[in-house]
This record gives sequence, C-alpha cells and structure tokens, in this order.
Amino acid sequence: MTVGVRLDEAAWGLLHQALDLYRANSRAVGQLRHQVARLEEPLRIAVAGPWRSGKSTVLNALMGEEVAPVEGADGAFTWYEDGAAPRATAYPVGQPAQELTVVKSATGMRVDLGWGAGEVRDIVVQWPTRALRQVTLIDTPALTGAGERGRVSVMDRVLRDADAVLFLTRDGRDSDLRVLESGRESAVGQAAPVNVIMVLSRADETGGGRIDGLLTARQLARRHYRDPRVGALAVNVVACSGSVGLAGRMLSESDFGALAVLAGVPRAELEAHLLSADRFCRGDLPVRMDPDLRAALLDRFGLFGIRLATTLVRSGFDNRVKLSAELIRRSGLTELREAVTRCFIDRRDTLKARSALAAVETLVRAEPVRGSEELVGTIEQILAGAHEFRELRLLVALRHTRLGFDAELAAEAQRLIGGDGVGLAARLGVEHEATVQRLWEVAADAQGRWRDRAEDPILPLAQRRGAEVVVRSCEGMLAELAAGGR
Amino acid sequence: MAGIWLDVLDEIARTCSAHGRDDLLQTVRQKRTQLLDPKLRVLVIGEPNQGKSQLINAIINAPACPVGDGRTTVLPTVVQHAEAAYAAVAQAPPPAPGRSAGTATVVAVERTPVALNQVAAGVAGTVGRRPGGGPAYVEIGVPRALLGAGMVLVDTPGTDEIAAVGGAGPVASPSRADTVLLVSDSTRELSVTELDMLLHVMRSHPNVVVVQSKTDLVADWRAVAERNRQHLADAGIPAPVIPVSATLRLRAAAADDRALNAESGFPTLIARLQRDMSGKADQLARVAVQAVARTVVEQLAAPLRAELATQEAEEQSGPISRLHAAQREVDELRRCSTRWQNSLNDEVADLLSDIEYDLRDRTRQILRAVDEAFDTADPLVAWDTFQDWLERSLVEAAEANHEWLIQRCDWIARRVAANFARYGYDVLPPWSMTMPEDFGERLPELERPKVDRFTTGQKLFTGMKGSYGGMLMFGLATTLAGMPMINPVSVGIGALFGGKSIRDESKQLLRRRQATVKTAIQRHVDEFFVRVIRDCRDAARQVQRMLRDHFTGLTEELQEAIVQSFRSAKQEADTDAALREQRQREIRLKMTRLAALYEQSQQLSGPRSAPGLLEPRA
Ligand SMILES: Nc1nc2c(ncn2[C@@H]2O[C@H](COP(=O)(O)OP(=O)(O)OP(=O)(O)O)[C@@H](O)[C@H]2O)c(=O)[nH]1
Ligand SMILES: Nc1nc2c(ncn2[C@@H]2O[C@H](COP(=O)(O)OP(=O)(O)OP(=O)(O)O)[C@@H](O)[C@H]2O)c(=O)[nH]1
Ligand SMILES: [Mg+2]
Ligand SMILES: [Mg+2]
Repeated sequence: MTVGVRLDEAAWGLLHQALDLYRANSRAVGQLRHQVARLEEPLRIAVAGPWRSGKSTVLNALMGEEVAPVEGADGAFTWYEDGAAPRATAYPVGQPAQELTVVKSATGMRVDLGWGAGEVRDIVVQWPTRALRQVTLIDTPALTGAGERGRVSVMDRVLRDADAVLFLTRDGRDSDLRVLESGRESAVGQAAPVNVIMVLSRADETGGGRIDGLLTARQLARRHYRDPRVGALAVNVVACSGSVGLAGRMLSESDFGALAVLAGVPRAELEAHLLSADRFCRGDLPVRMDPDLRAALLDRFGLFGIRLATTLVRSGFDNRVKLSAELIRRSGLTELREAVTRCFIDRRDTLKARSALAAVETLVRAEPVRGSEELVGTIEQILAGAHEFRELRLLVALRHTRLGFDAELAAEAQRLIGGDGVGLAARLGVEHEATVQRLWEVAADAQGRWRDRAEDPILPLAQRRGAEVVVRSCEGMLAELAAGGR
Repeated sequence: MAGIWLDVLDEIARTCSAHGRDDLLQTVRQKRTQLLDPKLRVLVIGEPNQGKSQLINAIINAPACPVGDGRTTVLPTVVQHAEAAYAAVAQAPPPAPGRSAGTATVVAVERTPVALNQVAAGVAGTVGRRPGGGPAYVEIGVPRALLGAGMVLVDTPGTDEIAAVGGAGPVASPSRADTVLLVSDSTRELSVTELDMLLHVMRSHPNVVVVQSKTDLVADWRAVAERNRQHLADAGIPAPVIPVSATLRLRAAAADDRALNAESGFPTLIARLQRDMSGKADQLARVAVQAVARTVVEQLAAPLRAELATQEAEEQSGPISRLHAAQREVDELRRCSTRWQNSLNDEVADLLSDIEYDLRDRTRQILRAVDEAFDTADPLVAWDTFQDWLERSLVEAAEANHEWLIQRCDWIARRVAANFARYGYDVLPPWSMTMPEDFGERLPELERPKVDRFTTGQKLFTGMKGSYGGMLMFGLATTLAGMPMINPVSVGIGALFGGKSIRDESKQLLRRRQATVKTAIQRHVDEFFVRVIRDCRDAARQVQRMLRDHFTGLTEELQEAIVQSFRSAKQEADTDAALREQRQREIRLKMTRLAALYEQSQQLSGPRSAPGLLEPRA
C-alpha cells in the first residue's frame, strides 16, 4: 500500500521540472543544480536572532565546544560542518577564498578573520565532531531591524540558505516576531511553520538571575507556544540558557572542584557574596579562591550559573558527571537538543523538500517565464497534498483549538501524526522495543477508530477532516510495517 | 529668577495666539502649569524587561509597581505621595467627538479604586478598566518622604518602537515630564532602537538620563557603561549614564546596609533627581522653556516657510501664468488666422483646376462618342435623335461637374473651419450651396446644322436659346455630403443609332456631311465648356469670398475675446504681485520676530550650565 506521493520524490521531480523549463538560463540552472545537490547534503540549521541574543553561545552549547564566534566575522555567515581536520576558509566578495589559521584550545578553537579588506559573506569551518554528522550549523550575524531595503536582509538569507532555523529571542517581543513574520510572504512560507524553533535565549537572566529564573523561562516558553501568533511561526518554543548549558557540557573536574568549595560555604554566607558579580569577584570569600578563577567562573557560568551550580552540589549532585548532566538539563539545552532532533533531524526529508520548494518558488517569482505558472501549480499541489504538510498543519491547529476534540483525543491525534516524534513507536505511543506484531495491532486499532470518526456524519467538518489526516498517518504506518515485514 | 523664564513663556504663548495656533497655545499653557507646579514628574521609559518598574520600586524603597518577566506593565502607572497607600485605575471618558485632544487633559478622569493586592492585574490592564473608554492609567499612592517632597514617578509599558514612546496616553507623554529616565540593562550595550528613542525624546525634551540597570548581574557593567557613554557621545546625545542595581538597593533597604546601598548606585540617581527637583523652578524650567521655544518656533516657522515656498511656486503658476497663457492665446490666434487664409486659398486653387479637368474629361468623352457615331451615321437621317442625346449628355456632364463643385466647396468650408477646432465651437458657415432647379434649361441649345446646301464656315448654330446666367444659387439648405457622383455619359450613343438605316448617297457626300457636323458639334461643345467653366469659376470665387468673410468675422470675434482676457489677466497679475509682496513682507516680519523670541529664550541660560551636560559619575 502506498500513501500518496512521497514528498522527497515530489521535490526532486519539481526541481527537474524547473531545470527543464529554465534550461536556457544558466544562472537558474546553477541554482537549481545546487538545490538538487542540497537534497543529499546534511541538514542545514541556522542559529539566527537579534543582536546579542546569544546565538554563538547556543551554537557552542549544541556542539559542546567553544568554536563560535569567529573573531571579526561581523556580517558573515559562519558554517560549521563535519570535516576530517579542523580547517577554516573565508570567502570574501569578489576575491579568492582564503585559508584562516585555526588555533586549537583546551575548550575548542579560535579563528581570527583578522583582515580588513573586503566584505566576507561566508566562512566555512570544518570541525571533526559527532555533533556535525547529520547537520551543518550556521552562526549568523545579528538580524537587523526590518525595513533595511536594497540588500537582502539577514533573515531572508537565513531562510534561503538554511533548511531549518533556531530563532533566538530574549523575550519573544513584538519586533522579533515581526522579523520572523516577514519570512512568511511566500506560499511555501505560509504552508506550515515547520522550519523554525523559537528559542527564548539567555533564559538564566529571566527573573533577574533569581534561582527559579529558568523555571519561569520555561513557563514563558509554554505561554508563547500556545499563542496562536507564535504558532503560525514556529513548530516549537524552548527556553534555553546557552551559557549555562555550555558550562555544563564543558564542566571540568577543576570547575567542579571550585564549585564544590563554594558550595561548602554556609548558604547564607555564600548568598551575601553572590549578591552581585562585583561582590563575588572582589569580596573576601571565606574560602581561598584566586580572583582570576572567580572571574573565569563568573564569565562562563554567570552569576545565576554559580548560584545554580552551588545549590545543585549542595542538594546531591556531588560529582562532575551528575552536576554536568543536571546543569545541561536545567539550562534547557537537553530540551532544545531533543526539539532539534524531533522537529528537524527526524523530519529531515520534509525540511529538505521544503527548501527545494521554496527555492523553486523564489526563482519563479523572480524570473517568471512561459510555463512557470505550471510550476507554481505543482508547488501548491505538493503543499496542499503532501501528507507531511497536512500533518504539520493539523499539528498547529490541534495546538491552538484542538478542533473541538477533547484533550485526550487531541493528544492522541497529535501523537499519531508525529507531534511527539515521527518514529513508529513515538507515534503509536508504545515502548521502543515493541514487536512488529504489537505495533501493527496498535496502528490498526488506531486506524479503525479514527476512520469511524472521519466517517461520522454527526461530527463537525473540521474534526472529520482532521480525523482523515490521522487515518492517513495510520495507513502510512501500516504500510511501513508491511514493507518492513516482507 | 522665575520671573524671566515665565516672561519668555508668556511671550511664547502670546506669539502662539497671534499666529492663531490654539493647539500650540494649549501645549504652552500646559507647560506653564507644569513648570509652576513644584512637583517633579519623572517619566521612566525603555525597552521591555529592562527593570523599569523595579527601578521605581527601588527609588522609593517600596514594592509599588508590579515586577515580572514577560510583558508586565501594560498601563502607565503614576506613583505619587499619599498618606495611606492606595491604588486606582484612572480613565478619561471616551473621547467625545468635537472636543479637541488639547482640552481632553482638563476633563475629569474617572477613578476606580483597586485593592492593593489587585495592583498587578490593574497594571496589566485586566482590572478596573472599562472597555471602549479613553486611555487609562494606574495611580498608586505611597507614603514616602521622597514623594512627599514633590516627586511623581511614572512607569510606562516597555516598547522597542519609537512611535510607541508616550503612546500609552497623555500621562506617559514625555512632554509632560520634567525628567525622563531611559532604562537599559547591563546585559548589553545600548541598542540602536534605544539610541533612536533617545534622539526622538531629546528633540522635545532636554532633560534625559540613561539609567543602566541590573549592574549586579554582570561583572563587566563598568565596561558596558563606558561603551554606552561612547555611543551617546557618538550620537550627540547629552545624557548622563547612571548605572544602578535595583536588587542591591532593595536588599540594602531591607538589611539597612549603607555600603550595599552605595554599591547599588542609587544615591547618585536620587541625588540627580533631587537636584532636578530643587532646581525645577529655575534651572530645569529655563531649559524646558528653551525647548518649548524651540518647538514652538519650529512649528510656527514651518507653515510660514512653507507659505513662502508655495508663493514662489505660485508665482510661476498663479496669475502670471494665466497672463502667459493669454499671451500664448493671442499669438496662437494670429497663427490660426494665417493658417486658415492659406488653406482657403490653396483649396480654392486646387478646386478650380480639378473642376476644369473634370469637365474637360467629360466633354472629351462625349466628343469621342460623337466622332465614333458620325464615322458611320448620316447626319441627315440621325440628327434629331442625336441632338436629344447630345443635349442630355451635356446637361448631365454639367450637372455632375456641378454636384462635385458643391461637394468640394462644402468640404473646403470644413477644412478651413478645422483650423478653429481649438476654440471649441461650431464655426461652419450657416449656409451651403444647392443646385438650381432649372439647371438644364440654362445650357446653350444646339441647332440643326444646314447640311443640305452646306458651305464651309457657315454658321451651324444659330444661337443660344435663352441666356445662361450662372448655375448656382445660394440658400439655407442641407449639405450635400454623401451624394453619389453622376455617371459621366449615361447613355451610350451607339444604341440610339442602331436601328437607323443610312441613306443611299454617294460616299463622298456623306463624308463631307459627317465632317461638317463633327466640326459644328466640336465648336458647340467647346463653347459649352467655356461657359460652364466660367460659371464654375465665378461660383468658386463667390464661395471663396463668402467663406473669407465668414471666417474673418469669426477671427475678429475671437480676437476681441482673447485680447479681453489677456487684459484682465495682466491686471490680475499686477494686483497679485502687489499682494504677494505685501504678504511676503508680513511673513518675513513674523519670522524675524520668531527669531528674536528664540534668541531671547536661548539667553535664559548659558550653554555651560545646561543640566543635560552635567554627568554625575558613580
Ligand atoms: N547570562 C547569559 N549570558 C549569555 C547567554 N548567552 C550569551 N550570553 C552573553 O551574551 C553576550 C553575547 O553572546 P553571543 O553568544 O556572542 O551572542 P550573539 O547573539 O552571537 O551576538 P552577536 O553575534 O554579536 O549578535 C556574551 O557576552 C555572552 O556571554 C546566556 O545564555 N546567558
Ligand atoms: N538582577 C536584577 N534584576 C532586576 C533588576 N531590576 C529588575 N530586574 C528583573 O528584571 C525583570 C524585569 O523587571 P521589570 O521591572 O518588571 O521590568 P520592566 O522594564 O518594568 O518590564 P515591562 O514592564 O514588562 O516592560 C524582573 O524579573 C526583575 O526581577 C536589577 O536591578 N537586578
Ligand atoms: Mg554571534
Ligand atoms: Mg514594568
């Protein structure tokens, strides 16, 4: 049993249809070939956001190493991709590419762009790490306010060059959302907000550094997630403190030692020394600690991070591994990585196809030729018909209105259409090691029940339509099981 | 000292009413009240989440304004002194149509008391506000010495849009404040938006301070402050930067810790506010009046300047341009007059030659037919029939030729009239030509040649029957356009002679007879031609004369009208120039007065003592 056209095949077909139509236009052909090649490349995830929102820090936290930013790379996109050996290349506009010196450090690397001549648009850093096996990460320059006409805005470039975006904002304020909304003018942009995760960054600063700040930040993220305006822009909203997460990932034994010493100071006494960064750096601690070490700790953990870490050590996270894991968890980094896996990496094909569709749409809009309306038609057809997009649209709808389903049904529908992860087990809500037999039973059962709903004339149309999508998802799973079982 | 700035302010008010600008007058009056009020109104603005509300709380050491993460402050909040703590949502009634915004400030606001534990909801705009009402704000009264000394603190919703500064209603407007505090936290340097916001506020409000909050949070706040000062200097904003930490201040108050209070940076900020308060009636007021003078003078001068500019533009477009247009009309009429005369002459000349050619062509065809006929026919036998035919053919030719003439004359009239198209009305002559009814009878008559006892040179035609005195008459009649041309020779001559037998005579005699008749007919046709053509010529000349008279009359009429309008345009232009000159003198005078007023206000204080430039340091 096949369930409709496969999205990746449809995208491939569309690109070739466009290649045929634009065969006389060598520039367009170049662009389209590039898109075809991109289908096979690792997923590109850009970290974008306004000025000082913590983009480079979040990227480091995801990599688990200090590799960003490249010094002096203002305005350039920095691509971090897998490579055999550390290497960095700068691509200045209108000049030959230039190799940059990579200085390895204990915690990562440093690259200095170090020259003034010419505008550099891209820097490609190759860095051997597992984190880059499946994805290419892009550190981007600060988003400029909307309305800077004449040149391609940073956001436009991000949406064009990346398959998915981590959109950082410190508080999800209006002006930030508007930048994100500016990317939704095209048909592909409007189809489903699959390619953006909104990150409330620097979450440790919420509450002015109070110890419960990260919890508050998580609540804020949930509030944003339920806001329909955000729902139209992002698949997910996660609060994350890049600096605390990074500090957790790179926690060394000596870091742990210093923190443990601090945790040894009676709470009330330590609190007085953690009143302000100044007091921590300059005050007379009851334990001996080098001012340089204090400054370094403060620099990496922040005042909040030190407060959190010492509290955690006191409450039982009493070795490096435990503390590191808990810092990563509390910082929201774990949740962010899970969201990246679930929303981006697992949906790689959908995102790649989406990029291809968007590229063809952009080309057709910029250089319409005879017959290009047909391409637009194909794009719309794919957007409307591809099951992946219908699932994603239903997800957004369920998130905000539940379509009138009760909470339990809405949750089931959401799970079945991949809202909790696109793997079979995640969709069916069964344990990972479940047998094919069991998966089949659960899927068939769900299919039967949702089919009844889809065909129940008493239900409102929206619910029946929604149920149809769920049925299609179940059919897809059964087909997958059948194919696997052969 | 108060006297001097008050004098200047009153002078400004007088100028506003002299210029009829009640709106500005309202602002000036309001400023006057504000400046005479000993209270110091401090407005706190900034991007969201920078710690504005907490700053106010820390200044007065009381949790007056709700503090939180996400959007907390929705309604502006006025914090002022009260013997007992209270809170209320104040709302102006919905703006009634017809009442100007300026007077709305005087209108009494309605106050809905809010329980103290409901203040957060009140400030979030969810309690105590009537939907559809005017702009609302929250009023909080706290018993505090600092407030009692006359300080009023106004908290505003955070915004990163310049347009939204003061947009939350009149209480949040910078123009009503004595001191504006822009709050920006220490976790980053001043953003572009914040600098723009400062520039915007600075334009109308000189007394601005940048408060760099949350210094407790980061180690490098001093470096941030230094860079902020640099940014301000680069942007040309004379505002001091005062770094503070509300958290430390509140903690210091709770623990009564003087050292911590000093660390919080608040003593510097409060000293600044207290200095503003005591100096309000003097230093601050003078600077404020300067700012008012600047805005008022700008606002008053702008329309004057615009008027001068439009006057200059009008000089090109007003009466002068009408004069130029009239002049162009006169020239155009002159050109038109030559044009139509030329076209009339040319057309008539063409007509004459065309008509002559046409008639010659028609007669030639007739003659050819005659020749052919009398090559075989015997005149003695065929004469009667032949004479009928010839007469009819000639009449037909003349008629056709005439018809054509009439059409052509009509056409010429239109052609000439087309020259007057731009004057917009129908200028065709009120008459046209027609064909006389008895046209055929006026032609010369052909008499039977005496062919029996013929002698060469003998007169064949005895004369003309009747006199032929011209074919055309003029009358008011319909035009002849669209009439079909008449076939030049309508009936073939051969058919007429077909049945006639030729008398058996000697061939020679017959030839002679035939030749004689041919010559006679030739002469007759020639004579016919000459007469008809002369008639045509006369007619055409007559038409020409009549058309000329008609269009000359028309031209004269037009000329009179155009010259008249030229004259009035000239007169108008002259008066207008005089008026304009007078108005320009008036405007210049007003501008000079405004400049003097501005001068006067600027002398209120030397630039050195402007408070904006005094920068307290921690
Ligand atoms: N407290 C806190 N500070 C952070 C966090 N992430 C970044 N910062 C700080 O914010 C500043 C900017 O961080 P970056 O990661 O360089 O931010 P960015 O968005 O890449 O900045 P630009 O590229 O300059 O726009 C640095 O001083 C960081 O130490 C965070 O999660 N918590
Ligand atoms: N560490 C520290 N945190 C502060 C300080 N001032 C405010 N905060 C925190 O910053 C956050 C925002 O404070 P608010 O005073 O509500 O900020 P606001 O500018 O009024 O925010 P809006 O009204 O939403 O625009 C709160 O979590 C405060 O606890 C300070 O001096 N130090
Ligand atoms: Mg960066
Ligand atoms: Mg507030």
